[in-house]
Amino acid sequence: MSSAPVASSVAGVGHLLRLALRRDRVRLPLWVVGLGGTIVATAASIPPLYDTPEKVAGYARIVGSTPVSYLMSGRQVGLDTLGGIVANETSQVAQLGICLMVVFLVVRHTRAEEESGRAELLRSTVLGRHAATLAGLAYGLMAVLLISAITTVSMLAVGLDAVGSLTYGVGLALLGAVYTAITLVAVQLSTSARGALGLGVAAVAVGYLVRGLGAMEDNVLVWFSPFGWAQRMDAFGDERWWPALLLLATTALLLALAARLMAHRDFGGGLLQPRPGSARAGRALGTPFGVATRLQRGLLIGWAVGLFLLGMLYGSVIPSVPDLIASNPEMADFVGAGGQAAEDAIVDAFLAYMFLFMAVITCGFVVASVLRLRAEEEAGRTEVVLATPVSRTSWMAATTALALIAAVTLTVIMGLGLAVGYGLGSGEWDQVLRHVAGQLAYVPGTLVIGAFAAALFGLVPRATGVAWAAVALVALQVVLGEILRLPDAVQAISPFWHLAAVPLDDVELVPVLAELALTAALVAVGIWGYRRRDAVSG
Amino acid sequence: MAVIELHDIVKTFGATRALDHLDLTVEQGEVHGFLGPNGSGKSTTIRVLLGLLRADSGSATILGGDPWRDAASLHRRLAYVPGDVSLWPNLTGGEVIDVLARMRGGLDEARRREMIERFELDPTKKARTYSKGNRQKVALVAALASRADLYLLDEPTSGLDPLMEAEFQEAVHEVRAEGATILLSSHILAEAEALSDRISIIRAGRVVQTGTLAELRHLTRTTVIAETERPPTPITAVPGVHEPVMHGNRVTFDVDSDHLDAAVAALAELGVRSLAAHPPTLEELFLHQYGEEVSA
Repeated sequence: MSSAPVASSVAGVGHLLRLALRRDRVRLPLWVVGLGGTIVATAASIPPLYDTPEKVAGYARIVGSTPVSYLMSGRQVGLDTLGGIVANETSQVAQLGICLMVVFLVVRHTRAEEESGRAELLRSTVLGRHAATLAGLAYGLMAVLLISAITTVSMLAVGLDAVGSLTYGVGLALLGAVYTAITLVAVQLSTSARGALGLGVAAVAVGYLVRGLGAMEDNVLVWFSPFGWAQRMDAFGDERWWPALLLLATTALLLALAARLMAHRDFGGGLLQPRPGSARAGRALGTPFGVATRLQRGLLIGWAVGLFLLGMLYGSVIPSVPDLIASNPEMADFVGAGGQAAEDAIVDAFLAYMFLFMAVITCGFVVASVLRLRAEEEAGRTEVVLATPVSRTSWMAATTALALIAAVTLTVIMGLGLAVGYGLGSGEWDQVLRHVAGQLAYVPGTLVIGAFAAALFGLVPRATGVAWAAVALVALQVVLGEILRLPDAVQAISPFWHLAAVPLDDVELVPVLAELALTAALVAVGIWGYRRRDAVSG
Repeated sequence: MAVIELHDIVKTFGATRALDHLDLTVEQGEVHGFLGPNGSGKSTTIRVLLGLLRADSGSATILGGDPWRDAASLHRRLAYVPGDVSLWPNLTGGEVIDVLARMRGGLDEARRREMIERFELDPTKKARTYSKGNRQKVALVAALASRADLYLLDEPTSGLDPLMEAEFQEAVHEVRAEGATILLSSHILAEAEALSDRISIIRAGRVVQTGTLAELRHLTRTTVIAETERPPTPITAVPGVHEPVMHGNRVTFDVDSDHLDAAVAALAELGVRSLAAHPPTLEELFLHQYGEEVSA
C-alpha cells in the first residue's frame, strides 16, 4: 500500500473539496461573516477611539500592560502605535476564532464523515487513501486564508502600516495552519468525531493558556505555544520572520504524522479503540435523568476537568497582579495615590473579569448540554424512549434539569479551581468562599442562556442553532462590548450585562431573581411547546 | 375487540400529505401485516399510533386510549421496534436493552437471556460498533424481552440475515400464541405472507386493500400453465382469461378467481397433458394493486 504512487493515494481530492464547499455553502460564509466581520468591526473601532498621540500613549501605559491583557492577548509589541493597539484588541477573537473554526470544519469533513458511514460510500469510488485528509487540509487552509486576508485587508483599510498588517495576517494564517494539522492528527487518533473535536479544542485551549501564562510572567513559556510564535513575529514592531519557520515546520511535521497514522490504520479505526463494556445497565440507568446523565458523562467530566484547570490557572495569577502593577511605574503612579484600596480595586476588577469570562464559557456548555435533546431527536433515538411510558415532559425536564444543575456545579468547580490556584500562588487559603460565591454570582446569566436553548427546542426545533448565536452574542458583548461601543439596547440582550460586577460591586438581588424567574419561565414554555409539537426524527 | 382503530386519519408535513384519509383496524390477538412500498406512510402511521406525531384530523384509538393524549400510560402495554434503529453510541447493547425495558416498567429476565442467545447478540459491545443488523437485534430483544399486549414492529427484519429472520418469525409466533397483538410493517412480502393473519396494503397514505390473505387472493388472478392435446386457442375466448401466451400446445394465462372454473373446464375439453396453477404471491398482489395505477 505504502508503495502506491502518490497520485493514486490522493485521487479524487478535487471532488471531495467541491463536496465540502457544497455542503458548507451556508456554514462557511457564516464563519467568514461572523468571525471576519467581528475582526473588521474591531479594527475599524480603534482609530476613532485613539485619535490623539496622548490617547495612544495612554493605551500602552494603562490597557495594554494589565495582567488581563497579558493573559488574554499576550504581549503585543508596538502598543504605542495604532497598529499595535489594533493587533492587541483583535488578537483574542482572531486567534481563538480561527483555531476553533478549523477544528470544527476539519473534523466535520473528515472523522465525522467517516464515523457516519458516508465516507465509506465515497471511498468505494475512485478515491485515494489520503484524499480525505488532503481535502480536509485544503479546506481548512482555504478558510484560514480567507479570514487572514480579511484581517490584513481590514488593517490596511484603517491605514495601518503595510508590513505590520501583512506580518500579522501571515502569523494568523500560519497559526490556523498549525491547528489544521493538529486537527488532522486528532481525527486519526479518535474513532469518534466528538472525541476528535475534544482533542482539537483542548489543543487550542492549551496553546492559548500557555501563551497567556508565559506572557503574564514574561517567561520562556511563550515559546511553547503556537500562539506565542505567531505573536513573536512582532507585527507592528521590528517584524521578524523566523518564528514563521517554526510554525511552518510544526505544520509539516504534524501533517507527516497524520499521513503516517492514516496509512497505518483501518478505515473507521483509530488509535483510541473502544473497549467492550458492561452487558447490563447499572442501577442509575432506569430513569430519564439517569440516562441523560450517562449520555453526557463524558461531556460533564471533560468540562469539569477543563474548567477546574482554567480556574486554577487564572487563580494562580491573581497574587502576581499587584506586583505587575508595581513594576509598571505609570500604573503604580496611577494607583499609588489610592494606596491599598486602589490596588484592591484593581485586583477586584481582574477577578470580576475572570468570573465573567468563565461564566461566558459555561454558556457554551449549557447550550451543548440542553441541545443534546435536539441531537437525540434528530438521530431518531428519542423515538424509542418516547415509545416507553416516559412522557415528553419528564424526558425534556430531565435533560434540561441535568444541564442547569451541571452548569451550577461546574460554576462551583471553577470557583474552587480559582481558589486552589490562588491558594497555591499566594499561600493564603482564606479566599475559598469568596471565590466560589463570586463565581456563583454570575450563574443566573448562564442559566438564562440554557433555558433559552430549551425554549427554542420546544417551540422551534429547527432553529435551535439560534442558541449558539446567543452564546456568540454574549461572548461578543463581554469581550468587545466596550471596544465596539455597542448601544445599551444591544448589550442589554446579554443576561450578564444586568448582573453586578462582583466582587467590584455587591450582588444585586433584583436582577438575580429576575433572571432565575426568566429561566423557569423559558423552560416551562419549552416544555409546553414540546408537548404540543410532533416529535420528529430527522 | 379492535386493538388499533384508525379512522380517516390525515397527516401532512408542509405540502406533503403523508397520510390521506387512512383507515386501519387491527383486531385483538392477530398478526396484522402492514404492507406498502417505501414512502407510502407506514412509519408515519406507526408514529401516529405512538403519539410521536399528531394527526391533523381523524380519530385514532389504540388499546382503548388516545395515542396522543394517553401516550405515556398506553406505552406501558406496548413495545416498539423502529425501522431505522439508532442507538446511543457510547452505551453497550446490553445497557440499551435494560434502559428501554426499565423505562417500560420492567423486563422478563429469562426472556432477555433467551432472546440474546437466540439472536446471537454480543451485549458487551458499544452500540457505536454494531452493524445495522445488530442494532436491529438490540431493538428486537428489548421489545420481545418485555411482555407487551401490543407490538409495533416497523420493518423489523430489514437488516437481519435469513437465519435470524427465521428466529424472528418463531418469536413472533410465540408472542402471538401468548395472546399479544402484532402490527408488522414490511415491504418484504414473504415475511408478511408467512406471519400475518390479516393484511392491509397502504399506498400513498391510504389503505387500499385489507383482509385475510385468502380474501385478498380472491380478488385477484390465478396463474395457469397448461399443455393440451389440441391447440389451446379456444381458451382465449373464455371470459376472465387474461394475457394468454401460447407456444405450440403450451399456454400460460392468468384467470380471475371467479372464472377459474370455466377456464379449467375449457382446458379439459382440449385434453390436458400437464397442468400447473399457483395462487398469486404477494408480489403479484402488489403488482396488481400498483400496476393498475401505473397503466392508468
